[in-house]
This record gives sequence, structure tokens and C-alpha cells, in this order.
Amino acid sequence: MTQYAHPQVLVETEWVAQHLNDKNLRIVESDEDILLYDVGHVPGAVKIDWHVDLQDQVVRDYINQRGFEILLSSRGIANDATVVFYGDKNNWWACYAFWVFKLFGHEKCLIMNGGRQKWIAENRPLSKDAPNYPSTKYVAQARDDNKIRAFRDQVMKHVAGGNPLVDVRSPQEFSGELLHMPGYPQEGALRGGHIPGAKNIPWAKAVREDGTFKSADELKALYEPQGITQDNDVIAYCRIGERSSHTWFVLTYLLGYPKVRNYDGSWTEWGNLVGAPIEK
Amino acid sequence: MDRSEYVEFILDHFNNPRNHGPLDAPDILVNGGNPGCGDVVTMYVKLDEDDRVVEVKFEGKGCTVSLAGASIITEMVKGKTLKEIEELPYAPLIDQMGEDVVKSRLRCATLGIDTLKGGAREYPSRKAMGQKLIQPIVLAHTLLTE
Repeated sequence: MTQYAHPQVLVETEWVAQHLNDKNLRIVESDEDILLYDVGHVPGAVKIDWHVDLQDQVVRDYINQRGFEILLSSRGIANDATVVFYGDKNNWWACYAFWVFKLFGHEKCLIMNGGRQKWIAENRPLSKDAPNYPSTKYVAQARDDNKIRAFRDQVMKHVAGGNPLVDVRSPQEFSGELLHMPGYPQEGALRGGHIPGAKNIPWAKAVREDGTFKSADELKALYEPQGITQDNDVIAYCRIGERSSHTWFVLTYLLGYPKVRNYDGSWTEWGNLVGAPIEK
Repeated sequence: MDRSEYVEFILDHFNNPRNHGPLDAPDILVNGGNPGCGDVVTMYVKLDEDDRVVEVKFEGKGCTVSLAGASIITEMVKGKTLKEIEELPYAPLIDQMGEDVVKSRLRCATLGIDTLKGGAREYPSRKAMGQKLIQPIVLAHTLLTE
């Protein structure tokens, strides 16, 4: 049986339960549903909201270096802290936050396998108390958008070069059948379909019913036959880059692909971009 | 109210939704969705001869804020005309939910009211043709998140 390429980045709920009081560990809950943290969270966990905390509120981009320093300092996260991410929706947003932390070079990042769903299913304790850690003086690296993030012009070149691209949205979004949600046409894309050459491997295929990641062998069997292999540069995308950060995590850390980038502009950019080639 | 009281109020509507479930023979059946979260709601409305809401129900799938917002709005629109629903301001709903609590998810908070407003706008032209406004029920939530 093949092992994960970097098993050390994935911790089990039991491990987290045993390390709740570690001084140099910070547990971060990142959810889509903003009230779940209030309902109850892993004791000692701080909340980071993908929308409010990680994104610039004016420009469509992530916070800058100073913003990241302020955020982490306010959550009591030091430069040498080990950060364990978990959240709802099988760790969508946990992986997204993990990815953003990596843009700023935070070294010790872990994902709690199974996320919030598994922690609760195991009847582990939940707290409603927001911890009050002393502020730190976090010093961030400049955000590095080159290694793990892709922009549209890079995707254009990637496509032109016949390189592998993985679209992790649902088959209905991939085919163009689903353009937007009823009632909110302004939030969809003007065109439906996918980036030419992309393979459709929905993100959810990488997880089991309990939210934990599938085995390395199962993951290899999922991606390799579709040409998503580690000897190529791979770009993943979805609608806004959240589901694809989950796939980015799988390919990078569980399968050990050396160069995987997340195209966070994703379909909300490409499907609205004048002149961008599209396949259905 | 402080933040925890607003949260408690929202969670009460989420856990014990008011006017929840399908409605037989509605005059209006409309769907609304929020791609940001993958939320979807279906709103059912029954009207009297003056286009005044006599009964309203909702079904949906999504986050706490969107479903609680839909539940709260059903309590606010009973007895209102479609015209009044179209002109209904957002502030009373947001005030009930706590602006500080939901300000980062206004799309979610207003999903129910926006869906109703959309139905209220479209219904008169259907009525003029002797029709009701009945959309097929959408299960797009699963499509977006699967």
C-alpha cells in the first residue's frame, strides 16, 4: 500500500484531541457557514473567515503581507506555531486557509483529517468560548504568488502548451449545464463550460463519506488515468478557488506532486473573460 | 441585544424553522440560490384576490444564516401585498439578525427576501396571462457542492 507523500501534514482527530493544550499549537477553524464556530468549536480553536479575514475587501485578491501579519498576530499565532486547520464541508475552507498561509510562507501547517464533521461525529468536546491568546508580533514573508498560485495569463499559456488542468467542479458545471444559481444570474459566469483541455475530477471524489481523505492508492487511481500526473505542472480550478485548494492539497501533500498551482480566478474569471476559449 | 443573543436568535430559526415545508397549490413557487455558499431556497406563496399573502412557506438547504433569514422573512411578509414585498427594505430583517453578525454574509441573510421579491416582481405578468408563477424545484445545491 502506497503511503501519502507527506503524511506529516495530515493529523487525525485523536491527535488533535491529545494536543489541545500544546502551547505552540494553534487550531484554526475555517468554515463556509459563519455561525458554526459560535455553535461550538474545538476547544481553544480560533476562527479565520475566508471572506472577511483572508481576502482584500476592495480588490479581488488576498490580503497583503501587513494584513497577514495583523491577522495572525491578532489570533495569537507566532511564526514558529504549528497551525492545525479544520472546518466544514470536508475541509474546503480549511484547505483554502492552509493554501493562503502557504502563500505567505507559514511553515508548520496541518489539516485535521475529516474536519469538523468527523470531530462532531466522534462526540468530541465543543466549546463556545472564544480563546483570548496574547497577541504575537508575527513577521510574514512577502506573499509569493508564483509557486502555488496561477493567474489567467499563465493558465492561457499552460493550456496552449497542452499541460494538464484539472477542473474540480461538478459535472454539471463542467459541461456548462449549470451556469449560475437561479435568482442570482449576476453572480454566475456569462459563459458555461470549462477551460479547453481540462479534465473533470470533482474534488469530492478525493474524500470518503466521513470526510477523511481517500488512501494514496485510491487517489492515484483517481488522477493518474486522467493524465493528472506528477511529472507535469498541474493547475487546478473551480469557481472561486476554494474547492480547487482542496484538490491542490491532495495533489501536493498526499500524492507529492512537485508543482501544483491553484487558479483562484477560476470560472468566475474565465467564464466572464472576453475572448477566453471555452469547451463544452 | 449583544452578539450572542443575535446568534441565539438566528440559530433558533435555523433549528426550528417557521413556516417550513411545501405548500399545496401555491400561487407562487420560486427558487433562489447563492452560489457563494451553494445555498438554495424555494419559497411558496398563497395569495388572496388582492395579491395579499395569506400563507407563505419555504424549503431549502444551506448555511445557518440563509435558512434562518428565510424563516424570519416568512414571519415578516404575511398579510403584505406583493407590491409591499417588492418595496420591503432589507434593514428590518438585518436588524433582527444583527448587522454585525451577518454583515459578511448579506447574500445569505437576504436570500429568502430576495427570492420573494423576485417572485413578487414576476407574478403580475403571469397573472395577467391567467397563470400562476410556478418554477420547477431546484436541487442545485447538490450540483454545486458534490
